[in-house]
Amino acid sequence: MMPAFTPEQDGFREEVCKLLCEDAVRAEIAQSRRLPYGEESGLLEVHRRLGKLGWLAINWPERYGGSGATIVEKAILTEEMIRHGVPDNVHSLGIDIVGNAIHLFGTEEQKQRFLPGLARAEITANVLFSEPDVGSDLASLATRAEPDGDHWRLHGRKIYNMKAQHSDFALCAARTSTGPVSFAGITLFLVPLRSMGVLIEPVWNLSEERFDLVTLDGIRVGPEDVLGEVDDGWQVLGKVLPLERTGLDHSAKAERTLAALREHAPPGCEERLVELETRVRAARLLAWRCVANLHEGRPDEVHSATAKWYTSETAKEVAVAAVELLGPRALLDARDPAAIAEGVFDAGFREAPGLTLAQGSSEIMLFFVATSKLGLPS
Amino acid sequence: MTATQITEIAGFFDEELAPIVRRMADRPRAQDADDGDGREVRAMVWEGLVGLDALGAPDTVRLAELLGSVLYQGPLLDTLTARELVPGDVLGQEPVALAVTDEPWRERDGAISARCSFVGFAAEVEHFLVSGGGPGPALVRAGHPSITMRRYEEAGRGEAYEVEFAGTPVAAWAGSATEWPAALAGARVRQAAYLVGLAQAALDHAVEHARTRRQFGQPIGRFQGVAFRLSELSMHIDATRLLVHDPGATAHAAACLAAASDLARTVTTRTMQVNGAAGMRSDNDAQLYYRRAAYESVRLGTPHRLRRESWDGRR
Ligand SMILES: Cc1cc2nc3c(=O)[nH]c(=O)nc-3n(C[C@H](O)[C@H](O)[C@H](O)COP(=O)(O)OP(=O)(O)OC[C@H]3O[C@@H](n4cnc5c(N)ncnc54)[C@H](O)[C@@H]3O)c2cc1C
Repeated sequence: MMPAFTPEQDGFREEVCKLLCEDAVRAEIAQSRRLPYGEESGLLEVHRRLGKLGWLAINWPERYGGSGATIVEKAILTEEMIRHGVPDNVHSLGIDIVGNAIHLFGTEEQKQRFLPGLARAEITANVLFSEPDVGSDLASLATRAEPDGDHWRLHGRKIYNMKAQHSDFALCAARTSTGPVSFAGITLFLVPLRSMGVLIEPVWNLSEERFDLVTLDGIRVGPEDVLGEVDDGWQVLGKVLPLERTGLDHSAKAERTLAALREHAPPGCEERLVELETRVRAARLLAWRCVANLHEGRPDEVHSATAKWYTSETAKEVAVAAVELLGPRALLDARDPAAIAEGVFDAGFREAPGLTLAQGSSEIMLFFVATSKLGLPS
Repeated sequence: MTATQITEIAGFFDEELAPIVRRMADRPRAQDADDGDGREVRAMVWEGLVGLDALGAPDTVRLAELLGSVLYQGPLLDTLTARELVPGDVLGQEPVALAVTDEPWRERDGAISARCSFVGFAAEVEHFLVSGGGPGPALVRAGHPSITMRRYEEAGRGEAYEVEFAGTPVAAWAGSATEWPAALAGARVRQAAYLVGLAQAALDHAVEHARTRRQFGQPIGRFQGVAFRLSELSMHIDATRLLVHDPGATAHAAACLAAASDLARTVTTRTMQVNGAAGMRSDNDAQLYYRRAAYESVRLGTPHRLRRESWDGRR
């Protein structure tokens, strides 16, 4: 379900596209995808440009660095950034998850402290939820916040997070109390990362972007760093996580791969291409339905779960189909002289498995729809 | 190949050697990364396999499945194909790489010019068997100055090369043009068997993880959403295994390989899902199966093209 875009919104999309198609911007994006092995981009000049225009977090009020526009304009920006190949993790972590959580649940002081910097791409943030033994079952997290006067000291290990090496601070879930109900004693902290008491180590993986292992070794945080209420982090998580699950990032990724696939697929693949195209169109409609829900102030968790599942599975299918249809050429790295489509297929193939895991895995979405939509017993 | 021979070769890939074999041709992406000990290990494995008479094996399809199950990477499968066309006394016990090209290539005064993509282990074989698109399979000796090559940087991270022959002397014409399709069918069935072995190994890896990884207070394999999908994959593997070992498999080689190709990508993609973020780690074999399956499943043709060929071949 596409919202009826206003002429201003269409105009905004055009302006965004124009900026993203500028030679210098395109060169920077291409360059960011061909960095020496083991390196990856953080905030780019294009983020700063968009930030200066008040577009990066366009739906935030001007006093926080945005333009006071709606979630629809924000979604247009996200969609176009991904379609044009701007590496998206730094943006989605900093603005869509952490920034949004602060925007919705932060104190005025926290908003002043973090949002303008995030919106102008001067600082960035990441998310420290998962632990070695804690993935889907986030409520069982073990990182402890031990009282230290009216402050806390954090102890624990957070893994499979991304961009910690580039981030100034993190949204971190830790246990402030224990009790019979595991999700009851969780608190969310805004933790400075460039500090004593935080050790960041790379965990290399198959994709272009590394995971980080972040060891919290007694870093001190205060009441001013608590997002939401103490012991009540689960509530905030329950509201923020579905918000990021519009699936728009995944549908835009699928569109990008598909556009390149259309160009490079050998003759005879037309039927498969039509099948994929139709799926991608449906994915986009599901994603925009979520945006519309948010715009109307009626977030719908079943719609979000449906969109997350469908869009990420579709993006993964398109990525794997590129190998199936194009053969080994699809696997060539952007840095290989014979690479096609600037290596979009190879990077997409290596990123694909993560799409159906991060931000709530496919199985968790299926479980949610089974129990909440279909009413099956849990 | 006798059952004893297979058991002996399986025994050669014991618990100590198998993990080394899985990664013996996995070259991490890095600027000018060298091959570390990989090449030495591969040479040692080649010696071991030749010593166990892998080159004289009568049932090469079972051998190929075994090689897939340990994710063996090396010139053995190509060499077996070459030996169907070139007498063993010409090749001795030396490794051969198939260099197949779609592009037309030329022969003049007993020398050939061709450009071949995705040639495996080009830097460590003694011969190339150049075929497809040209006058007929030609055997050339490696190391001739007219041969240039470049290793690809690709997701499989293996030993795949672009090889150019610019006036390379032909050592022998390898069979007639009509013999090549039969040899290719054999190669495809072996490749299909290799992929079945690979898929089984990936599934075993996923099952092990499902048994041991706990979430929500229990092993994730206890969730039927995980367990049933693994069972489903196991059944697909079973079915495809029967297909590739069927005596009539070579008559349907292209279709068989297409089926195994889809199987390998599906199983390894699901293996990634079951393994969660941990499966993406460079030190986890799940991602290794995923990457290798992608490459191996399209090495001898995309499934789409193979199916088209299979259909056209019936007319
Ligand atoms: C690309 C990427 C980026 C990430 N970024 C971050 C980040 O920035 N910060 C952060 O904190 N974390 C991050 N993560 C971690 C992510 O949150 C976890 O991957 C996710 O929570 C799943 O946990 P897990 O990977 O440990 O899988 P597990 O929870 O161990 O699950 C393994 C498999 O079992 C399935 N499963 C689990 N429970 C059930 C069930 N009840 N029924 C059926 N199936 C089930 C899962 O769906 C999965 O397929 C990232 C992960 C990826 C892949």
